[in-house]
Amino acid sequence: MSREYALFLGCTIPNRLPHLEVSTRMILKNLDVNVRDLPGFACCPDPVGFSALDRFTWIVLASRNLAVAEEAGLDVLTLCSGCFETLKTADYVLRNENGLKEKVNEALAKVGKEYKGTVEVRHLLQVLYEDVGPEKIESTVEKPLKRIKVAVHYGCHVLRPSEVLQVDDPFNPTSFESIVKATGATPVDYLKKFLCCGVGVRSVDEDTTNRMIEEKLRYVRMSGADLLCVICPFCLIQYDIGQFQINKALGTDYHIPVLYYPHLLALAQGVSPDELHFKFQRIKPDAVLEKIEKL
Amino acid sequence: MVETSSSIDSRFRSLITETHEGETLNLCYQCSTCSGCCPVFRYNSQFNPRRIIENTLLGKRDRTVKSPEIWLCTVCHTCTEKCPQGVKVSEIIIELKNLSSKEGLFPAHLQEEAKALLEFGMVSPPTKAILSRREKLKLPVIENAPPEEIRTLTSATGFDKLVEGRKSAEETQETGVVEE
Repeated sequence: MSREYALFLGCTIPNRLPHLEVSTRMILKNLDVNVRDLPGFACCPDPVGFSALDRFTWIVLASRNLAVAEEAGLDVLTLCSGCFETLKTADYVLRNENGLKEKVNEALAKVGKEYKGTVEVRHLLQVLYEDVGPEKIESTVEKPLKRIKVAVHYGCHVLRPSEVLQVDDPFNPTSFESIVKATGATPVDYLKKFLCCGVGVRSVDEDTTNRMIEEKLRYVRMSGADLLCVICPFCLIQYDIGQFQINKALGTDYHIPVLYYPHLLALAQGVSPDELHFKFQRIKPDAVLEKIEKL
Repeated sequence: MVETSSSIDSRFRSLITETHEGETLNLCYQCSTCSGCCPVFRYNSQFNPRRIIENTLLGKRDRTVKSPEIWLCTVCHTCTEKCPQGVKVSEIIIELKNLSSKEGLFPAHLQEEAKALLEFGMVSPPTKAILSRREKLKLPVIENAPPEEIRTLTSATGFDKLVEGRKSAEETQETGVVEE
């Protein structure tokens, strides 16, 4: 049964990394997942910065987005883990904190909106693993990525706080590996798999963010993985552009391609690399594309 | 720094424990699991979640709310997830940041991001170059929320005034921000 979702793009994917939106729309179409672009969404807003400035405003703005989806009667599909944490947390606290819903709706009434709590917020990982399922994903694969070794990076905002997000086990998850296996590729384990990408401190402590990136990449390289696969655009920015920056700042020589999961699946579905626009990424995945080409 | 009774704010601890997540503060027994699993503390010992919780429990408002260290939290929630006592460490740090922001003590980049949100309804609005790239990539035109609607909400919550109220580096020195 195909289900329709309201596609919540956020800011980062459509306005900084639109090539990720291209691959996402492609794979969703190939998987018969229907998405609708609703008018009227705004910034999620970001769960690190805006919750810190004023948690109540953060919840109000997030619940406004939920109200937009509710008006259309569609569950929300988020492509960015930051958007996911914000919208899912808002939904959770509005259901659990006494009196908050009334206060939030008082504010929303000024723009003619109301949060009712009638839709669900889903992360792309959940939609792919639970709603679509690895078997269906596998059935769309035309070119199994045999012998391609993939290090997965879950990132923080899809797993924790698990009480709120309820996607997978916070320290021993398996959903991401399952959907990577469905492409025919082999997930490889590595140390520091759950190390945060560090984007939350990028603007306040660049040295710490750089060293967090370096440590992750060190163990990904030791694992022998062909690529690092992510499901959040901020993690991608950290490990792609960030990798380029740490090579300069710390004198390292990493060259580990970073792929957003839809890019990996699209390759397995037989989409040509030209259509995936890797030119917009800093670390070019030429070696792994060549390896796939020869499969 | 020598502790004096004037550096203890007796109401400060209850400001935190009265919040929904903050009521878990009193459960802390200082085992340091939070600092042990913190990815930032590994590299920057200035950011020590156990000490932040301790200072909050002791009512040391200036050592927490006025200290730049709370802004080093990357909000990965590992501490909250691992705390054996169920203390919502990262959520408490968010409450501390909220108190800090009310005093105008938030980082400059957040003021920039918040201003973009107020102006465009998004932190990263589409630029001309991106709109033309989207067209080349055959992506649909997205109709975002009218920014006025966002401004109506932020003015209702007082967020617009909060954003304007950021204190500059010179001003924060005058108010005695603790730089450890």
